[in-house]
Amino acid sequence: MIELKQVTKQYGQAAVLKNITLSIDEPGIYCLLGRNGAGKTTLLKSIAGYQNITGGTIQVDGKAIATSTLDTGVSYIENFARHFNLPVRKLLRIASEVNPNYDYDFASEMMERFELDGKKKFHHLSLGMKTMVSTIICLASNKSVVLLDEPVLGFDAIMRVEFYDMLAESFQKHPRIIIVSTHIIEEIAKTIQKLIILDKGSVRFFDTLHSIESKAFSVSGLQKDVDAATQGLNVIGQDTVGGLATAYIFDDPPEQAASLEIHPLSLQDFFIQMVGHKGGTVR
Amino acid sequence: MTAIFANVKRLLASDKISYIITALVVLCATSSGDVVLSNGNYTWLLAAFTPFFFVFYDFTKLMHLGASKKDYYLGCLISYGFLAFCISLANTLIHLLIDPLYPAKTVINLMDVCKWTENGIVAAGFQQMFFLLLVMVSLHLLLSMQAHWYGWLTDAVLAAIICIFTPIAPLRGILAGFFQVVMLNGNAVVHIGVCLLLSAAFSLGGLAVLKRKTL
Repeated sequence: MIELKQVTKQYGQAAVLKNITLSIDEPGIYCLLGRNGAGKTTLLKSIAGYQNITGGTIQVDGKAIATSTLDTGVSYIENFARHFNLPVRKLLRIASEVNPNYDYDFASEMMERFELDGKKKFHHLSLGMKTMVSTIICLASNKSVVLLDEPVLGFDAIMRVEFYDMLAESFQKHPRIIIVSTHIIEEIAKTIQKLIILDKGSVRFFDTLHSIESKAFSVSGLQKDVDAATQGLNVIGQDTVGGLATAYIFDDPPEQAASLEIHPLSLQDFFIQMVGHKGGTVR
Repeated sequence: MTAIFANVKRLLASDKISYIITALVVLCATSSGDVVLSNGNYTWLLAAFTPFFFVFYDFTKLMHLGASKKDYYLGCLISYGFLAFCISLANTLIHLLIDPLYPAKTVINLMDVCKWTENGIVAAGFQQMFFLLLVMVSLHLLLSMQAHWYGWLTDAVLAAIICIFTPIAPLRGILAGFFQVVMLNGNAVVHIGVCLLLSAAFSLGGLAVLKRKTL
């Protein structure tokens, strides 16, 4: 279980995390979404105890987390993780020795599936393969919380599909909290249970994908009709071109009318509307 | 316990450069004349090099492999103890078996210089071991602090102490007294006790720094 209470993190005058309160108490695969600089890595590193927060508290399984926590029970991996320049198989073996609950069979199986050459030294691997080794080490650790920061960076399309399968298999084998930070939203949708959207250091959304499917819609039509139909609803964004308008809502859809077009929002469109930016401009 | 020894194994295995440099110096160093330096003295280089690798090379990599800070630190302390024993054993054996073979009249081994051999070779070996443990633990602490402002402050204070205390006679006496106790000590029990106490204090200091260490 992860519990964050009023977590803030500042670098000098810049606040990277702003008063985040979040409770993740069920095992599951959670997707952490956010634009570049939204604070995703800072949040994950703080939960892992890799860095201290400026204010608030973080608890994992009831244990307070900070850099002073000598054994956090959290496994975190970033995409440029540094490893000993040893053959992959040896690296996985060492990881199994330093981690008390490590699943070496799972790690070996994944190594075979991703056609990782066990004899090849870590520094001789491609970026994608390096990331895969780090991800396998992290998932095989079997710690109660696993945090994967941009794990699909450098993966080709086939590797990404294999990765999502691996994630699902790992979770089925050992149900626990797995948080995956990524930018490739649609691909991971089949694998995850809940979505966390972080924007400018604050949690903008934390709910199931089902809630997005049943509540996220675009409503298009004449400005006055759209305004009338969406009045009192939770409008998360709006586009206007001439007299035509499109409102993006996260609510029960308005009644279908001949003058309105109502469509469900894709996950990506929902994310774009939630973070309130498009083409680099704040709307 | 298994995880701690896995850390020990990895720490010792990734210290190869220190072993090679030390071995090369011990095997290749030469001196001539009536008074020569024992090659065994150079085994101490291993104690000086090792903390650099443990602090700057191994920490991040072990963390990324999933080791805990606790296991890493205990692994470091056990490794220092083990290396201190090995270095001391090697220098003691060199002092007993190789130093007498020199044609020179006098062979200077630091075990003699530090008056440890006055207590017999076994006690001298232990004095050397605990002194080297102190050296490695204190170096580990000092190196760990370098990422923080107080590390630089400590460097400055140490440099200032040496620069100010050395030329002024009464202060020089204090400095000499300190080295008499921790290094040039003929009393084995007091010497080992002081080295252990200081090692424990520096280990706690190292733990405090590790608790603030970020990744």
